[in-house]
Formats: sequence, structure tokens, C-alpha cells
Amino acid sequence: MENSEKKKPKLKMAVYWGAACGGCCVSVLDVHEKLFDITELADLVFWPIALDVKYDDVRAMPNGYIDVTLFNGAIRNSENQYMAMLLREKSKILVAYGSCAHLGGIPGLANFTNRDGIFERVYDTSESTVNPEKTRPQLKTQVPEGELHLPYFFDDVLALDQVVCVDYYVPGCPPQTERLVEVFMAIATGATLPSKKTVLGAWDKTQCDECIRTKTDKKTIKEFRRPYEIEDDGETCFLEQGVICMGPATRGGCGYRCIKGNAPCKGCYGPSPDISDPGAKMISSIGTMIDSNDPVEISEIVDQVADPAGTFYRFSLPGSIIRRKIL
Amino acid sequence: MEEPRIGVYVCWCGTNIEKVVDVAEVAKAMEKLPNVVLSKNYKYMCSDPGQDLIIKDIKENNLNRIVVSACSPRIHELTFRKTLEKAGLNPYLLQMANIREHVSWVHDDKKAATDKAKSLVAAAVTRVNHHEELQKRTVDINPATLIIGGGIAGLTAALEIADAGKKVFLLEKTNHLGGVVAGIDQSFPYFDSAQQIIQQFIKRIKQHENVEVLLNTKAENITGYVGNFKMPLPMLGIDAELEFGNIIVATGLKPYDPSAIREYGYGYLPNVITSLEFEKMLMSGKIETKDGKTPEDILIIHCVGSRNKNCHEYCSRTCCMTALKFATQLRSALPKANIYQAYADMRSFGKDCEELYLKASQKDIMFLMYDQQKYLPEIRRAPNREKCEMLVEIEEILSGDMVEVPADLVILMTAMEAHEDVKDVARTVGVSLCGNDFFIERHPKLDPVATTTDGVFIAGTCQAPKDIPDSVAQAKAAAARVLSSIDVGQVEIEVTTAFTNEDLCCGCQTCISVCPYKAIGFNEENRVSVVNEILCKGCGTCSSACPTGAIRTRHFTDKQIMSQIEGMLSMTKRKSKKTELEV
Repeated sequence: MENSEKKKPKLKMAVYWGAACGGCCVSVLDVHEKLFDITELADLVFWPIALDVKYDDVRAMPNGYIDVTLFNGAIRNSENQYMAMLLREKSKILVAYGSCAHLGGIPGLANFTNRDGIFERVYDTSESTVNPEKTRPQLKTQVPEGELHLPYFFDDVLALDQVVCVDYYVPGCPPQTERLVEVFMAIATGATLPSKKTVLGAWDKTQCDECIRTKTDKKTIKEFRRPYEIEDDGETCFLEQGVICMGPATRGGCGYRCIKGNAPCKGCYGPSPDISDPGAKMISSIGTMIDSNDPVEISEIVDQVADPAGTFYRFSLPGSIIRRKIL
Repeated sequence: MEEPRIGVYVCWCGTNIEKVVDVAEVAKAMEKLPNVVLSKNYKYMCSDPGQDLIIKDIKENNLNRIVVSACSPRIHELTFRKTLEKAGLNPYLLQMANIREHVSWVHDDKKAATDKAKSLVAAAVTRVNHHEELQKRTVDINPATLIIGGGIAGLTAALEIADAGKKVFLLEKTNHLGGVVAGIDQSFPYFDSAQQIIQQFIKRIKQHENVEVLLNTKAENITGYVGNFKMPLPMLGIDAELEFGNIIVATGLKPYDPSAIREYGYGYLPNVITSLEFEKMLMSGKIETKDGKTPEDILIIHCVGSRNKNCHEYCSRTCCMTALKFATQLRSALPKANIYQAYADMRSFGKDCEELYLKASQKDIMFLMYDQQKYLPEIRRAPNREKCEMLVEIEEILSGDMVEVPADLVILMTAMEAHEDVKDVARTVGVSLCGNDFFIERHPKLDPVATTTDGVFIAGTCQAPKDIPDSVAQAKAAAARVLSSIDVGQVEIEVTTAFTNEDLCCGCQTCISVCPYKAIGFNEENRVSVVNEILCKGCGTCSSACPTGAIRTRHFTDKQIMSQIEGMLSMTKRKSKKTELEV
């Protein structure tokens, strides 16, 4: 048994980042000593955070050379898009790994503005910027050594499956390391994988199913409060304390880590199957909890939600129906 | 699921749709949509040949989805569902697009109307792809009936049903039966005694073995559904409750309080009285002023509280005829008195009513017309030197003169209006009210005593002001509807209900408190919400409240609604802005 496994050719695996914070790559490193189990079964052929493999090396690989690519990060510029397309071509299985690749993630909140808006803020108006010439990044720059190139910065941030076909999704910001190991082992050991386009490493049921806080049907909200504004007893459902918790609309699988840490769920594991727009779903749900029939009072209560867009669409704006703010 | 094979039928509705919408073009545009096998237009889809066309096409072309683009589904959805059933298809594989009320009746630009019709029909086509077969369900009907209101309508309906051998619970919130009619002397146009009619009814009701009268009882906390309603009776004990299968709402109306109209001085001029107060006077047999004098000059003012935007905009329907009845009764009682009628428009429709007008006008009665939108007659106390009690200034519009009428007695023909507590009744029986707080019938012409809530019927003036014959006719119609449902014994209930996908339900319980029908319970063992599909009316509130997408409403799933929106937008030509990715 052991012999036959050894004879089996090792998997070729790649990890790449698009518009990402690096946390997903770190979550891969977080497998700690299990990394040895992984390297036992797989060769890492491309992983910019850890290995010095150049884009040219990837270009030189035959199509379908890589067995599994974990692509984290959203698509924000032409380089992200190019690499997504290149890795799609070179990989048998392409996994959208983490919230950004899954639905757009935190970088996706940039869809509330556009390229010009972001450049103006970053290169002109931010408090620490002095730029009287209004210098902007140039796509091409001549230097003595030759011509330097920068990728083109898009107006929109996109989820990975909005530019290439994706085989599986592993949600999370970042994905829970145990889930990654489970998914990897399933692929590596040749277990029967679920049908394409499935979300792996997360449950169909949402956080409340696991969450041990006490839940009743008394979800009536007179006042929205932020976590620091309540004296949390550590036991009562956050929503029943007036704190917006994305738990009911967010897949389980993370082990409700935030809630265990006495913070409401932010929604990084994304919606359960069949929900086309997680933010809209949660807004619709919260709407039924508002305890008033008076239009004026209702709008006063609604106004108490600090940053509604960032609350309900924190990880999912590009992947939602609304996709972006129309400018 | 088998591959959808869709047939699209665009109706002309004679010229109703066809004169504004290019029906042939709409039908042609649908041919290009995925899964559409055939698309036709026809003059009257609802006619027998129209329905036969659908049946023939289903059989010959193996169609398994049908779109009828015609009038409102409220009118003909049932018709076409039956058509599908006749052809052997599940009736829920139909979708209608309303291109009459929503298009041809409200637009006149043919090009734009045709484009809009295309969008609506395309939406129906894309939606019908996702329709699922739904199975009909039936429940037994409890043969007892609850009647709310002990006025002429409630009494009539109660007798009608009780005489047929079925149990009736008659609820009356006051301590006596008879309603408004019990306060009326004679009725128009034949001057027969309203008292005789109503007292006879009351006597029979009280003695009837099938009628249980509950006085001083309001309709409250009714639960259940068609065939199986319940209402607790806390005053009779904790567990006491009524069980019944149908409800007839006959809560009536109340007279308008005219003290709000400054010009009439009702409340501080002692000899300004309302029509119902005058009825009392007639019943007592003594027509006199507050001082006990026989009035010499009597003025009757019409439209008090009716047909004016400051009060009620509607016509109360019975006051003109009652005013003519009063004038006729006054003439017989006081042959020498001067009788004046200040009217706005004389409305004497109805059998033998115009004749009553003619007869009254030959009885030496002065008719003065006033513009009740502009200048109301103004009543003031007469100075001591005058013989009369009051002087009334009226701008008489036929002569154009300002006239001053002496009056010892002024009778205000007060409007009828909804009771203050009608909203509570409406809530407990689950029926909507119109802007004037009258109960809304299911269809004004085709289903005038039913409501959109199955098992709840309406009769009498709670639906709109009406006279005794109309109230009685409605009460008998409602009773007939109830009796026929008892006779059938079973009723089909809503199949487009909500249901929980227990594999997704996370047990957050958001849905439970939002359900207006108390149809959702929590299964503590499995930690999931469970919908009682008999109580569920398919309103969809829980589906939109459910944050996990575990609760769905049949026939209104997210997929069906989203595909409908996509279909609608697919017909809209927009200037495509090239994204940077395409550059």
C-alpha cells in the first residue's frame, strides 16, 4: 500500500496572488508541520511569496502542467488578469482561494468608486501626499536600463470567475487552514471531488447552525448598535442585541471564530448555495427585524447602520448583482 | 427536468390590445428566445377556440410550458390554468404577461407600447422555463359559519344559512341586534315599515335552533384558514372557542358626525338634527322642535359629509331617497308646513325611486339647489323679531340668487362612514380595506361578495354604502357562497406556499415572528424552522426575511423572479459601454 502510493507521481501545485493582502498565502504557510505532508504529495512549482519562480518559467510550462492552482486575490489590474488567464491555461484545477478570488473581497469595495477616484485620493488628496505636479503612475517609463512597465489599473475589481472559468471555490478571509488541508488531501488522495463550481471547505448551513449563542425568534431591533456600544453577555445572539451579525447569511466552516472572539460575523465565508446576492439577502432580512411601522422612525433606525455598504457587501460587492456603484 | 418546450400566445383582446400593441411583432420577437417552440397571436385567447388552439398545440408539439400574454392574471389565470389541465399539463406550468392593463390601456404610443409588451412577454418566457409542477391540496370545510355584525345584512345571511340547517355564530359588538335599520321608521320608496322587517328577523334569529347569538362580542384573534377557522371566547372560559369554516363580515357603517361642518351648527343649534334623529322623531309620532312647538318651516339639507373632499368624496347613496321620503312623510303629517330641500344633485336611481322623486315634487315642496363643493348653506339663529327659529342662507345655483330660508327644524342628511374599529376587524379576518375603509371585494363585478382571503365573504354596507334591498341581496349572495362551499365539503387551498429546506436552515428563527399567519414553528430537536403549509398563504414575507435562502415560496422562487427580471431587461436595447477588458 505504502509502496504504491510512493510510486504515484507527485502533484504539481501552484499558489498565486492577485489583488490580495498576502493573508491567504500566509494561511497556506499556517499549515505548519502539515506542510511536510503536503510536500510529500505535491511539488510546489510556483508560489511567489515563497519560491523564486519567474513568470517566464510559468509561460514555459505546457498547458495543463499544474495539477492544482490556488489563486487568491481579486482581479484589479491587467497583471492580475493576465496571470489568471495564464494559470487557467496551465492548470488542470483552478481554485478561487479566499474571499477576494471568490467574490471580490475587501479590494472589491473599491467598486464604490473607480480608477480616477482612487488615483485622485491616493496621488493628490490623501493627507500624507504632496504632489503639486499631479504625477500619476505611467504604463511605460524609460530608464537607462530600458523600458519599465506597470500593469493597467482597471475601473472595476472583479472576482476570479468573472475573468476565467473556476473549478472550485474555497472561501474565507483567509480560509481556515484546516479546511485547506482537507481540500488539499481530498484532491491529492484522488477522492471523488464534488461537481465543478462547488464551494469547498465550507458548509451549506450558515454560522448560526454552529454558533452556541442563545437564539430566539425575538429578533426585533429598535436601535442598531456597534459592538463597543453594548455590554455583551457573551451568550445572547448578536442580532438580538441590535448588533449586525452576518452569521445567519454566511456559510459555516470557519468555526465561527469571530463570534467566539465576541465579535459579530463579518461574512467572509460568503453566502450559502443559491443566494444570488448575499448583501441584498441580509438587508432584506434585517429589514424584517426593524421593530417599527412608522416610516419616519424606520428611516431613523436604518440611518443608525454605520457604513451599510461596507457592512452588508464587505466581501462580496463584485460578485453580487449590483457589482458596483454606478458612477 | 425535461427540456422546456414553450408555446407563447399573444392575445388581441378584440381591439383592446391590438389597437395599441403590434401583437404580430410581439409574437414574432418571442420566437427567437431559447426553448420557444412556437409563438402565435390570436383575437381572443380566452374564447373556446383560443383555448382549443392552446390544447391542440400542446398535444401536437409536446409543449410543456405555456405563456399567455393577455389581460391581468386576476381575470384569466384560472381560465388558462384549466386549459393546461385539460391538455394534461400541470396548471402551474403557465405564466401570464399582462399587456392589457399594464400596456394597451395605459399607453397610446404604438411603438413604445409594443416594445414594453415585448419586455413583459420575454420576462414571462424566461420565467416559465423555471416553473415547477405543483400539486393541488384540499381540506375539509367545517359547516359552521361566523357572521360578524347583527344588522340587516348579518341577520339575513344568518337566517339564510341557518334555515338550510347549518350552524351560525352571530357576533354583535353592541348589546342589541338590528343595526342601523332598527333605528329607521319607514323605508323608501314604498313606505313600508322597516321596524316590521327587522323585528321579525330578530325574533326569528333569537328562536332559531341553528343560530347562536353572541352580543357584546367583537371579532378578535381569529386564526386558521378556509374551512377551519377558530376564535377564542375568553369571557366564557380559558379554553372556550368557536370553530367555523367560513366567515361573513357584515359590520355595516355608522352615520357621519356633522359637528365637524361649521356652517351647520350641529351640536349648538338645538333644532339642527341628523336624519337618524329625525327617524326617531317619526317613530315617536311627534314632529316638534326642542321647545315642543310644531315646526312651520322645515329644511332638509342633502350631502352632509358626502361628496366633498373635506369629508368623504363618495356618495352615500341612500340620503337623497331618504330625504324625499322625509319630505313626503312631513307633508302628510304637517299639511301646512313649508318644506324645503337643499340638494346638490338629486340621485334617484333604483327601482321606483325616480317615481318617488316625481311624487314628492308634486307635494308643494321647495327644491333649492346648492353647489356643495363651493358654498354650503349657512345656518344661524334667527333674531328674536323673526317668527322662525333659524335662518339659512343658500346660494341657489339654478336661479343664481342668494336666498334666505326660514327654518324651525333642519334635518341633515348625514353620510354613512366606516366604523372606527373596522381596521381591527379587517386585520383579524385578513381582508384589505380601500382608502375609505370599506372592505375590498375580490372582483367588483365577477366576485362582489368574496374577498381575496378564502373563506371570508362580505355583505352589506361594510363593502360600500347601500340601501336595504342591496344589503339583503348581498347577504343572500354571501350566504349562497358559504352554503355552496359547505355543500362541496372540501376546498382547494393555496399551493404556492413557503417551505423550508432543512439542509440549509441554520435555526436563526428570523422567519418566525415575521409570519402574519403564525404558520412557522421551530423544531427544537432538529433546530430548524418548519412551515405549516395549511396555514401558509404564500405571502413570501418569510422568504425575503430568511437570510440563508432556506425558506422558499413555491412559484415565487428567487430563480423564477431573477429570471423574470433578466428576461425583461434582455429586450431593452442599451448602448453598450465597452469595458476596459474588451479594449
